Amino acid sequence: MTPKTRWIRAIHALFALSAVVIVSLTGALPAQAVSYDPISGSGSTWSQNALDQWRTNVASNYGMTVNYNGGGSSTGRSDFIAGVVHFAVSEVPFQLAPENGTAPEVPTRGYAYMPIVAGGTSFMYNLKINGVRVSNLRLSGEVVTKIFTGVITNWNDPAIQADNPGLAMPDKGIVPVVRSDGSGSTAQFTLWMSKQHPDLWNAFCTSVNRPTPCGLTSQYPTFGNAKAQSLSSGVAGYVSQDYGEGAITYVEYSYALESGFPVAKVLNQAGYYVEPTASSVAVALTTAQIDQTPGPNYLTQILDGVYNSADARTYPLSSYSYMIVPTEVGGVFTAGKGFTLGAFANYMLCEGQQQAADLGYSPLPMNLVLAGFDQIKRIPGADTTGVDINKCNNPTFKPGDSPSSNQLALTAAQPQDCDKVGPNQCTTGTAGAPAETPVSGSGTGGSATGGTTETAAAAAAATGGAAASTGTAAVYDANGALISGGAAGSTLAGAAVATPFALADEGWGIQQSLMLLAATFLVAAAVLPPVFWRRLAPRGGRDGLK
Amino acid sequence: MTLTETTLTPAARSTHIPSPDGIAIGPRRRVRSARVGDRFNVLGAAAAAMALATLIFGWVTPLSGGIGWTIVAFLSFIGFYALLVSFTADFQEVKDRVMAVLLSSAGVVLFGALVFVVAFTLVRGQEALPHLNFFTESMEMAGPLDGLDVGGILHAIVGTLMQIGMALIITVPLGILTALFLNEVGGRFARFVRTISDAMTALPSIVAGLFVYSAIIVLITHQRSGFAAAMAITVMMLPIVIRASDIVLRLVAGNLREAAYALGSTRWRTIWHVVLPTARPGLATAVILGTARGIGETSPVLLTSGVTAVVNLNPFEGPMISLSLQVFDFVKSPEPNMIARGFGAAAVLILLVLALFAIARLIGGRGPGDLSRRQQQRVVAASLRDLQRITIRGDLRHPHQPAPLPPAPKKKESSS
Amino acid sequence: MPRTINASLSTRPAPDTEAFPFEKERRRTLVSRPSVSDSVFRSVAFAAGGITVAIMLAVGVFLSIRASDALGVAGFSFLTEQEWSPESQSFGIASVLFGTITIALIAMCVAVPLALGTALLISEVAQGRLRSTLVTLVDLMAAVPSVVFGLWGVFFLQANVIPVASWISTYFGWIPFFRVSDASGDALTDASAFTSSAFIAGIVVGLMVVPTQTSVMREAFSQAPIGEREAAFALGSTRWGMIQAVVLPFGRGGIIGGTMLGLGRALGETIAVYMIISPIFTINWQLLKTGSNSVSALIALRYGESSAFGLSALMAAGLVLFLLTLVINFTASSIVARSRSGAESD
Repeated sequence: MTPKTRWIRAIHALFALSAVVIVSLTGALPAQAVSYDPISGSGSTWSQNALDQWRTNVASNYGMTVNYNGGGSSTGRSDFIAGVVHFAVSEVPFQLAPENGTAPEVPTRGYAYMPIVAGGTSFMYNLKINGVRVSNLRLSGEVVTKIFTGVITNWNDPAIQADNPGLAMPDKGIVPVVRSDGSGSTAQFTLWMSKQHPDLWNAFCTSVNRPTPCGLTSQYPTFGNAKAQSLSSGVAGYVSQDYGEGAITYVEYSYALESGFPVAKVLNQAGYYVEPTASSVAVALTTAQIDQTPGPNYLTQILDGVYNSADARTYPLSSYSYMIVPTEVGGVFTAGKGFTLGAFANYMLCEGQQQAADLGYSPLPMNLVLAGFDQIKRIPGADTTGVDINKCNNPTFKPGDSPSSNQLALTAAQPQDCDKVGPNQCTTGTAGAPAETPVSGSGTGGSATGGTTETAAAAAAATGGAAASTGTAAVYDANGALISGGAAGSTLAGAAVATPFALADEGWGIQQSLMLLAATFLVAAAVLPPVFWRRLAPRGGRDGLK
Repeated sequence: MTLTETTLTPAARSTHIPSPDGIAIGPRRRVRSARVGDRFNVLGAAAAAMALATLIFGWVTPLSGGIGWTIVAFLSFIGFYALLVSFTADFQEVKDRVMAVLLSSAGVVLFGALVFVVAFTLVRGQEALPHLNFFTESMEMAGPLDGLDVGGILHAIVGTLMQIGMALIITVPLGILTALFLNEVGGRFARFVRTISDAMTALPSIVAGLFVYSAIIVLITHQRSGFAAAMAITVMMLPIVIRASDIVLRLVAGNLREAAYALGSTRWRTIWHVVLPTARPGLATAVILGTARGIGETSPVLLTSGVTAVVNLNPFEGPMISLSLQVFDFVKSPEPNMIARGFGAAAVLILLVLALFAIARLIGGRGPGDLSRRQQQRVVAASLRDLQRITIRGDLRHPHQPAPLPPAPKKKESSS
Repeated sequence: MPRTINASLSTRPAPDTEAFPFEKERRRTLVSRPSVSDSVFRSVAFAAGGITVAIMLAVGVFLSIRASDALGVAGFSFLTEQEWSPESQSFGIASVLFGTITIALIAMCVAVPLALGTALLISEVAQGRLRSTLVTLVDLMAAVPSVVFGLWGVFFLQANVIPVASWISTYFGWIPFFRVSDASGDALTDASAFTSSAFIAGIVVGLMVVPTQTSVMREAFSQAPIGEREAAFALGSTRWGMIQAVVLPFGRGGIIGGTMLGLGRALGETIAVYMIISPIFTINWQLLKTGSNSVSALIALRYGESSAFGLSALMAAGLVLFLLTLVINFTASSIVARSRSGAESD
């Protein structure tokens, strides 16, 4: 390259660069013309992944600074009451009249609830059978409740085995991991238990010295083998460690996706075990009642319909997460902050919902978006000109839809046959662990990956054969004779499954004594000859050594 | 120094300084070298111990695991070593040798563990550290699923520097002035101040954070901010700085002060020209070590600074995160990338503390009066010149008793 | 006293020591007049002392006043109640304090032998450059942030100490402290039963306080008088005999003081403990078993979600911790001050 051409190139490059700069400046100018005051909020870790993504998006698209500190829903509500944040995020409303005898939470300034995202409280677990990760565990609601109330303590419990005919459940202790801080996930989960299994839940409350009926609580009581960890990330982090094998926790679906771990499919009223995907949550929440009476609880959720929904696609532990926004200027909240908060809320309800499914949440339906728009208008300082349902780019509806419909729910697929209660069990993975789990129990497997539903027996035979070739001991031929005797199969399989970490011995026994004796003889054989030699040697020799 | 003093006393008139000439100086002997036999004892015991541990673990009993092997090997090493030593020595010597081994192993275990803790963090931090954006970007544009090539800890570094800077602006003048008050002014009130500040060194750092949270954030500012975090760090650091400066000032030799007063200087001039310059390296060390503690503490910041992903240059508004809190926040996540970022941030934090420590060593490794080699030589030369001068004057005054001249100042004799 | 001596001494040099003139002259009064700079310095220093005391007292008084709300409600049961639920008026620090103390004691079991051994190694065995390197290293380690120790504890130690804990509980399970059993008394062998325990937190906190203890002890040992050491050697003592007869008795104050100073730090340690333990609100005598708690971890866990009354209860807990540390520190410094070595405790 001659110097001349180099010069020409440089000039060209300079022109191109300045052109780009000018274009980008003019293009960016309208967006940058609006300046946003930074806002900060705190609260739920259940919806933190979504908020973190949205925070990043508005920072890069609009130059908006949103700080979010996930410290648990209770922390969020408490911070809102203390007036140290501009907004809070919580799964449960302010406990104005708590059932369990704790003091009511009464905010001193005006507030409104605004739904921001839907999701499923899922049961993330870490379980291996013969060193192979289980990714297709199925649990009924009663079993879940019994696990988290300390009634069922071992994975080979007959009730769990009955839910999972395709797995030879190992003889391993269950470690329920609960939240140690005040949490909305805990509140949602305990609310579900107190509504669906009140006898088990109240018996548990009595055993941990809480007043009954204890209803929902944000602080999970510690019990038995349970571990308590703080924040959603803490419980998910514990389960995902190697030593977390045998652990199960309740956490938003997104955390399981993020950390690459499976979640349990939970039995719904229609008799299907369902994973909390975006569509199953959307279907479930079509039956949620929203409190439409204006007042302190306007827009809060009543989930009894969700728990008992007869739709086969329902995930029963679905719920909404709420942003608590101030409706009065005061303290650190100014109209300028309200302007940012309004714009951020508008982004969340429309554009932000596009990413909800990818993150492990479910987008909001149209009726809640419309209600959310009303709440935005109550935020002092919020700019309402951009708030328009027809410009709202939300995946659950198209312009002109009826507010009650949900595109996601309409198009949601029916569950596979292998997810129905019965001897068939799907082998496909869940959440962050998509790998198939080989059939190891007495039941048959089924695969949900194919476009058309394969016959369960064929799929099971294939997976069974594949698993057998790995040489693991407890793999049973799915088409074998064991198919009928579920209990017998499970005990046989259970017996063959070794627990990887348990010591083979329990304390001191004859074996240990023999070992000690052998070791003593060995030491004596090495040490005694020189000592005796010195004793027996003539005096002169010893003196000579000195 | 001692040379000068002895010659200055009246008795020196009758003391002769022995002349070093004519005395044969033999080669310096090493008194603590190990004998060949001792070395063989150590080697033999080590070999025997390892062999025995391997035999027990692999052959005689079905034990396994590195930790068990190490413990068995160590115990049998002590046993074999004691046995070997006892062949040639009495009980007292055996005890001495075994204790020497135990002391050395305590040192090895401790330093091994501590170095391992630091090295573990640095090695795990290597995943994030090579990315340049880790130092030049904040987490503002990095979502929960982004890789390590997006986002960094610039906001935390800036936050750390601002918070510790604000804390230093308060603690350094206040701490050193208080220490001066304790040492130079004194009185009943000073004793009270010392008692209170000693008591406050016992204040757990989380309680300092809780105080600032409930007194400043909840009651006054109504938001978590960099300023509140700096206040919490101040409450925690102030007693440390006062105490350390107090000790340093107390070490300033009293005769320096007395000399200044004898020359007629005022108290303030004595402090400004004598006490503070003498204590300067020590004071710098005290401040820097206090800074290192303040930077590293997470708990007061946890309650007061708030969490943010954005570079915040306004200490009075909005949350401002620091490195230690950012580490804590990163590693809570179950996501591998976040944990890698956490280790990277921890590595940066360690390097920052190490750098501070190195600076502290550089400017204040010695206490007051503890001089460098060149300074020592200069002092010795000066005092020898004085000695010579005084001796000559003494000779002029008492010519009937000639004292031998001291030797010319030599650098060799500087060691006392 | 910062005063200028305003007496007019004679400028004539005294010719000889035998003939000081003041016996013959009349006594003079020494009138002192503080210079401007002196009085400014004096008042500034006084103000600095006053501000310091004001800050410190503000902390103490504020904590006490706020804590008294909660203490008034809980009364004596604050020390005996295990549950922590200030919202429903039943709260106490029995379990939390128990956890704090067990973690600190385990830390001492790890730290004291290591610190004592290393301090003796540095002051008695190591020579020359090695000694100064070790001294620097110890001081450096005292400045390593606690969150780094926490990281190490969570990501390395937790997973690697499980076999050790499991082994101890299997073979020494007959000692109640080392037993790991479930509610029905059956021994547990699952890996998860040994995670997040007071034992692991204690080891990490122990390593964290070793450098502080080592430097206090080393300081005391290095001041043992050289004459007594040489006398011991001259009487034919071995090095260990000399240490036993001279250094250890001389440095006893330093050993106790250093230990207690480390204990004070161990009691107040927050972040590493918070990262490792699984908080529970019952007294757990099984040290190797999962679940423990500490006052500082409780504050870190609950401050955010507390109402005003909850904060007051947390402050009461913090105050108890503060008083505990205070007693330990003052005892330590008085022991050190009264001992022969008289070493500074910091």
